[in-house]
Amino acid sequence: MKPPPFEYRSAHDSAEAVTLLTEYGDDAKILAGGQSLVPLMNFRMARPSVLIDINQTQDMTHIHAEDGHLVVGAMTRQRVLERDQTAGSAVPLLPAALAHSGHTTNRNRGTFGGSLAHADPAAELPTVLVALGGELTVQGPSGKRTVPAEDFFLAPLVTSLEYNEILLSARLPRLPRGTGVRVEELARRHGDFAIVSVMAAVHLDSNGRADLVRIAAGGVDSTPIRLHEAEAQLSGTTLDDAGIDAAAVAAADSVQPTDDVHGSASYRLEMVRVLVARAIRSAITHQKEGHP
Amino acid sequence: MTTTEPQSTKYAGKPQPGIDDPSLLTGSSTYMDDITVPRMIEGAVLRSPVAHARITRIDVSKARELPGVFDVITGNDLVEIAGEQPVIWYPIPEQRIARAHALATDTVRWVGQGVAAVAAVDRYVAEDALELIEVDYEPLPVVADLEQALAPDAPKLYEDWPDNVSGSMTLTAGDADAAFAEADVVVGASFRHHPGYGCPIETRGCISNWDVFSGRLDVWLGTQSPNLARELFAQVLSLPVSKIRVRTPEIGGGFGLKFDFYPEGVIAAILSRRSKRPVKLLEDRQESFVASSRSRDMRHDFEMALRSDGTILGLRGTAYGVLGGALGTVGAGPPWASVLTSMGPYKIPNQELTLKAVMTNRSPYGSYRGWGVPKGNIVHERLIELAARKLGMSRIELRRMNFPAPDEFPYFSGAAFTFDSGRYADCLDLATSAVEERGWNELQREGREAGRSIGIGYGFHIEPGAYGPSRVLNMVGLDHSGFDEVYVRMDSAGKVTVLSGQISTGQGTHTTYAQLVAEGLGVPIEDVTVVTGDTESCPYTGYGTGGSRAATLGGAAIVNATGRLKAKILRIGAELLEADPEDLELDNGRVSVRGAADSSVSTADIGYSAYRMLNGRLPESETPTLEEVDVFDPANMTTSYACTALLVEVDRQTGAVKLLDCLQAHDAGVIINPLLADGQLAGGLAQAFGGGLFEEFVYDDDGQIRTASFMDYLIPSATDIPPFHFYHQETPAPHIPGGMKGLGEAGTIAGVSVVGSAIDDALSDLGVTVCEFPMTPPRLLELIRAAQSGEATT
Amino acid sequence: MSDKHTITVTVNGHVYTDDCEARMTLADFLRRQCGLTGTHLGCEHGVCGACTVFLDDVAVRSCLTFAVQADGARIKTVEGLAEGDELNTLQKSFQENHGLQCGFCTPGMLMCATELLRENPNPTETEVREGISGVLCRCTGYDGIVRSVMAAADSRRDGVSESGSIS
Ligand code: FES
Ligand code: FES
Repeated sequence: MKPPPFEYRSAHDSAEAVTLLTEYGDDAKILAGGQSLVPLMNFRMARPSVLIDINQTQDMTHIHAEDGHLVVGAMTRQRVLERDQTAGSAVPLLPAALAHSGHTTNRNRGTFGGSLAHADPAAELPTVLVALGGELTVQGPSGKRTVPAEDFFLAPLVTSLEYNEILLSARLPRLPRGTGVRVEELARRHGDFAIVSVMAAVHLDSNGRADLVRIAAGGVDSTPIRLHEAEAQLSGTTLDDAGIDAAAVAAADSVQPTDDVHGSASYRLEMVRVLVARAIRSAITHQKEGHP
Repeated sequence: MTTTEPQSTKYAGKPQPGIDDPSLLTGSSTYMDDITVPRMIEGAVLRSPVAHARITRIDVSKARELPGVFDVITGNDLVEIAGEQPVIWYPIPEQRIARAHALATDTVRWVGQGVAAVAAVDRYVAEDALELIEVDYEPLPVVADLEQALAPDAPKLYEDWPDNVSGSMTLTAGDADAAFAEADVVVGASFRHHPGYGCPIETRGCISNWDVFSGRLDVWLGTQSPNLARELFAQVLSLPVSKIRVRTPEIGGGFGLKFDFYPEGVIAAILSRRSKRPVKLLEDRQESFVASSRSRDMRHDFEMALRSDGTILGLRGTAYGVLGGALGTVGAGPPWASVLTSMGPYKIPNQELTLKAVMTNRSPYGSYRGWGVPKGNIVHERLIELAARKLGMSRIELRRMNFPAPDEFPYFSGAAFTFDSGRYADCLDLATSAVEERGWNELQREGREAGRSIGIGYGFHIEPGAYGPSRVLNMVGLDHSGFDEVYVRMDSAGKVTVLSGQISTGQGTHTTYAQLVAEGLGVPIEDVTVVTGDTESCPYTGYGTGGSRAATLGGAAIVNATGRLKAKILRIGAELLEADPEDLELDNGRVSVRGAADSSVSTADIGYSAYRMLNGRLPESETPTLEEVDVFDPANMTTSYACTALLVEVDRQTGAVKLLDCLQAHDAGVIINPLLADGQLAGGLAQAFGGGLFEEFVYDDDGQIRTASFMDYLIPSATDIPPFHFYHQETPAPHIPGGMKGLGEAGTIAGVSVVGSAIDDALSDLGVTVCEFPMTPPRLLELIRAAQSGEATT
Repeated sequence: MSDKHTITVTVNGHVYTDDCEARMTLADFLRRQCGLTGTHLGCEHGVCGACTVFLDDVAVRSCLTFAVQADGARIKTVEGLAEGDELNTLQKSFQENHGLQCGFCTPGMLMCATELLRENPNPTETEVREGISGVLCRCTGYDGIVRSVMAAADSRRDGVSESGSIS
């Protein structure tokens, strides 16, 4: 399991990475934390002829709040993000989701942007982005553009990044204070890819009505899926049991999972229903019990 | 916790930490891949991507041209030098034995079968070269699983066979048909254990150096059975045994998987002979799923007959061993052992037990800790719980009433094994009272009230160990022996070296041997060195380190040799002290007159007298040197046993099972080292929980394995395994000096069926019966749904 | 097309400069070029954790990092844990509590647990299990390992109260 040969280039900043990508074209791949790409190379299932290492860059490593949003640089290590106070208070779904994403030693090295650009439909960070309607900022030779999360992820391991574009950062809307969040994940073992994961954020107003409901599921379609129908059914309601159960059924109706060795499509459909209901209920509890 | 009186020992029975641990903890020990020998190059094997095909063309010319490549061989090159891979177990009379060469010659019969191999300057280049080898395959119909193999119109793996059945046999005791006819209650089910493997974290590997000029083959091999490997190298390569040296480095886990004799050793030898360089050939993780022994893969269709009072009358059924495209080293051995142990610890007068060994287009079946017995255990433990339910009896009491009583031992089980000794009911009580003590019953009550599905599982197992009396093993079909030989040597400085043919794979062989010698002689444990792993200097062991032999047989030989050596030391001491040997004692490295401590000599004085200054010091009647050799061939095997209990919680909506706590009341005779013993039990149970819930080779219809990575083959991590609590009772093996019984396989035998028992209990209101392992969340959810909708589940 | 680089790394305080192909993993560089075979390879695809080392003080899987990426870095491996000729607190605890059998996962387990205790000196049993869940052990059933890590945390705590600083 030794990787095939490749040429190694190290980029000093995002602009240089874009220049190198443009120079080498399709044969080049960006190397960030390597937690997804390098295993594929060791299996010789991925064989880029050039790797452009962006670990030496400085301009993509940042976490900051900005006009109601949290902005996270693509080269931010997942473990740093998980433990960052600014990020945790603005988007508590992030640390909750990261706790399920591999193990600490993966997150020590793995990057925020790397997970997004890898676009595994079962991965946690893409699901968070989709759940919260995040936006991704990408840079190409002719400048930057912004892509909504739901348009960024196209298929398993496929994004809307052009061959010569690099993911710079992502923006996530800051959740209202007190928003209850919950990650319900069914994985075979702690840290494994999800068979099904559901991310939920819920906020009840002072009358006990939901003024914010965000739900997305991972592992159940070719990309993480925002569960719009379920959200619509629940928004503005008091989130009573019957409503939650109905929304969970609607959620299951809106995804198209496939079989793999860990679960059939029908099992996944059923789990969407179970986990959506659980996630909403737990998110409500989370808001009610309060959190910092 | 132990139920026997504490003995006044210094080392034996004490929790001595592993004597090799400091080097393991500092990265200074040497495992297979850590070894580099001069002029060494590295190999890699090209493996078949298809499960069944004829090879119509192989072109290695491009691979040969790659800079850094020394040699490329195919099956046709290999057969010029090597014979077929050996099989040592022939338990089924008149079995058809399908052997294969280390590299396929014309037909491939499983995904991963070797078709060519490369030797290159390093592994990176060797893998590059594999990509340049061109092979054309003409597909043949694939027999992907057992059911396909048995179908009337099944394609055949071997054209000249009537079907895909390699062999079958039936063992009988009493009259099973009559017993079933007169029974009040019959319970039965089809049990399926899906394939998995031993999966040591260190994969297999070797370095072969075949020097054609001296005619010597020098091998470093990550094996549990160096003596056997040497014999088999000699057999396959037509070399004299005396020209072959097998050394084992530190072994990163074996679990039976490293007992078997694999093609790579032969391939590396051939590459070495041709390239005139030592060749390292390491299996990588991805290869391991198709190149290391596949195990566990069996189906058991069994039923049990009982009287309404709970007396078991009979057991009958057919076990199907899902063999691969060719036989592995141990042939149908493990499936056979599953049948031999399917009556478990219970008195069952009437038995009719059939084994069918069936070929499929899967990788060869081979050894894994437990060696068939975990599935024998599934049969008797699942059936007895089904019977208890049907009879409305306590599952504990039903077990108890069918045990042989302590005075019925030695007890013949009806099939092959005679159980040496046991207090089964005491062991059961020890477990049930521990369950009560730990508050599980209370937890379950409270949990259920809160709507949680908490279950307590029980399992009772027997573990045949000390494999085995050589002549009996030969009689039942083993082309090898079972004795163990040991040298115990005190040197001129009075320090002790033990040489053994057993090896250490982390189970603590070195530590327990040092304890036995230190205890037996009366020397500090620091004075004892244990040497293993070199056929040139270490003695012969039949079989190898497998079959729970190390502590029992090696230990017995050490007890014997040490006893004789001590007597000689005392005789020399008597000369030096001008005393009677009878009046002397040996303690802490000093020989002294009992009751007169100032009159003493050290073992260094004894050593000096036996090796250097003989005159006036060594009695005339004594031969110089201090060495004893013992060969121990047991009169019978040992049978240890345990009652295991497991606390679980089931999520009825997802089918997920959480293991909360586990305890085991165990009897392995005399325990040499409780710290290490508990480690063996815990490690084995964790592996069984892997097999019970997580680990599976999943194949598709084309015979492709879909779980060939650690992302998909799920060995349990720390969050999946519960804490463990062990309780010991000690019923010595009467025929083993030292009284030890085996315990290395206890956990793997006990841990699968108990998962089923616990899940059933958690879902007792639904009447679910777990018969399939691993019980994955989707499978369990299906059982739950079926039970909820009123369908029968068995 | 082999792409060679000369790199310099400081491993356990020693400086190593050597050539390597771009594709050589850090694990192989440590094992093959530096002769530090204490770092083990159990899967080479980032799951088993046997290859865990500290790269600039952070525990990473060395089978998923290329050596060339570590140019200029400070690395610590299992060979760098002992204090002089003595096992460190964690290593001693592993020995006393039977936190190892074959020892193959042990280097990764020790590096992982070292970081865990650095970040969380008083872990609960659940936190220990989660913390080490990225390192697979096939031998121990984890029982001895969990006890070892908990005991090491205890003895470090005692060390703090006695001497006022963590050794
Ligand atoms: S060898 Fe690196 S994680 Fe397994
Ligand atoms: S001690 Fe052997 S793998 Fe952990």
